[in-house]
Amino acid sequence: MEQPHKVRVKLEHISKSFKNNSKSPNHEVIRDVSFKVYDNEFLVLLGPGRCGKSVLLNIMAGLLTADWGSVSLDGEQIKGPNPQIGMVFQKTGLLPWLTVMENTEFGPKMRGIGKTERQKLAQHFLNLVGLDGYEKNYPYQLSGGMKQRVGIARAYSNEPKLLIMDEPFGALDAQTRYNMQNEILDIAKKEKRTIIFVTNNIEEALLLGDRIILFTSCPAQIKNIYEINLPKPRDSMQKEFLRLRREISDNTDLAL
Amino acid sequence: MRVENQIENGTDSKKSNGLSRMVYLMAPFIGIGIMLILWFSASAANPQAFPNPSAVLLLLYDLLFHPLSGYTLLGHVAISLRRVCIALFFAMLVGIPLGILMGWSRLMRATVGTLFECIRPIPVLAWIPLMIMWFGIGEKAKIIMIFIGALMPIVVNSYTGIKLVSPLYLDVGRMFNASSQSKLLLKIVLPAALPTIFAGIRNATSMSLMVVLAAEMLAAKSGLGFMINRGMEAYNMTLVMSGMVAIGVTGAMLSILTNMIERRICPWNSHTKSE
Repeated sequence: MEQPHKVRVKLEHISKSFKNNSKSPNHEVIRDVSFKVYDNEFLVLLGPGRCGKSVLLNIMAGLLTADWGSVSLDGEQIKGPNPQIGMVFQKTGLLPWLTVMENTEFGPKMRGIGKTERQKLAQHFLNLVGLDGYEKNYPYQLSGGMKQRVGIARAYSNEPKLLIMDEPFGALDAQTRYNMQNEILDIAKKEKRTIIFVTNNIEEALLLGDRIILFTSCPAQIKNIYEINLPKPRDSMQKEFLRLRREISDNTDLAL
Repeated sequence: MRVENQIENGTDSKKSNGLSRMVYLMAPFIGIGIMLILWFSASAANPQAFPNPSAVLLLLYDLLFHPLSGYTLLGHVAISLRRVCIALFFAMLVGIPLGILMGWSRLMRATVGTLFECIRPIPVLAWIPLMIMWFGIGEKAKIIMIFIGALMPIVVNSYTGIKLVSPLYLDVGRMFNASSQSKLLLKIVLPAALPTIFAGIRNATSMSLMVVLAAEMLAAKSGLGFMINRGMEAYNMTLVMSGMVAIGVTGAMLSILTNMIERRICPWNSHTKSE
């Protein structure tokens, strides 16, 4: 897998601590994390809750700066918010004062792309996530799953080189979550992108990932990397799937 | 969460559609009815202190056509409203930008904010003597007093509105090509703060009504406050109560109007209010 694929993202020795206050020692969240992300790969970052995965994502997205190490996208250092990176937020982060269409076209609009072109783009991705007909609705009129669909369409419409999804289905109920997992597989198949997907759910990781990077609990360190060579869509009852699930589960730290 | 809510609401409204809807339609009239009954019985007991509601209504009707000290009822209403509107306009013109600057820039917060916190606790009515000293008892003094009263809630709400914008929205702006300060302010922070700013305008409107009455009762030849004051001087409680009813109606109209404007400007927010 490594040789024929181009490296898109490279993390080198990322470490990060937060200062709580002057008395207590610094709170270390990430310790010396390095990995590569390959072209058009669906990479899953798996780890127990609150283990610093979101912080790592924010560093990759340029929203936070690391204490140590560097992140590069296509050989270029990431220093600040980068429009080449699309983000799907766990809490959707839809702007409540904008309609579904306005939310979806927000990225290209801020980049100064003309109205017809950006709306065509946004419409394409809204159709892809199954939201045609909802363009004029406001976010408060949508269900949780639909909101996250808008979030996904918005990230794609920004035409990013790299898509980062931060536990996008974490706030959804089990049934909706299951549907959305199938849907994201479908979307990822139709629209090839390099995707980094964060979750704390082993089954979700196994259903979606080409590769899974397993993290320890705080401070986050890489514990293991799994290559998942099962064909998609995957059957969660299949023998190999269950074996991997057991293996990863046994290897996972308990979250506090 | 929302889906659950919808389901709950759905069953709820199905069960109670007919009866409870009637009750909710009638409820406001029941409230007003009870007040009228109490009013009637009070005026039966002591007509001197509690003029009959019908007398008040008759006087209000009469005032529509026969001017009191130069103005009809609508004239007095219009004069009070004009003072309120001019003051509100300037309070928004000054207050919204000031509040936004205070919320956005730390330097502004440190300088103007501190000064503002010192002036804010002084009730508007405490300004009356100074206002009369400086500006006399004309229009200018009244409008400036209303302005001071209206300015406070507008500045405070604009400021808190900006401060309370969710950091998540700021991240969204940064990730989607609106990371410059001006774009963040215009495209993310301002719209996010708009409902809070509007709540400030609503508070300012009711504040303005209070101040305009106080100002008019102290020194004026026209306006609703003047009407009440004239009634007091002439020992005419019917006139006093007519003035009160007129204020109540005007205030209710104003709040309906601001609600309508708010729904127009922040349509995404109307659902929170209607529930």
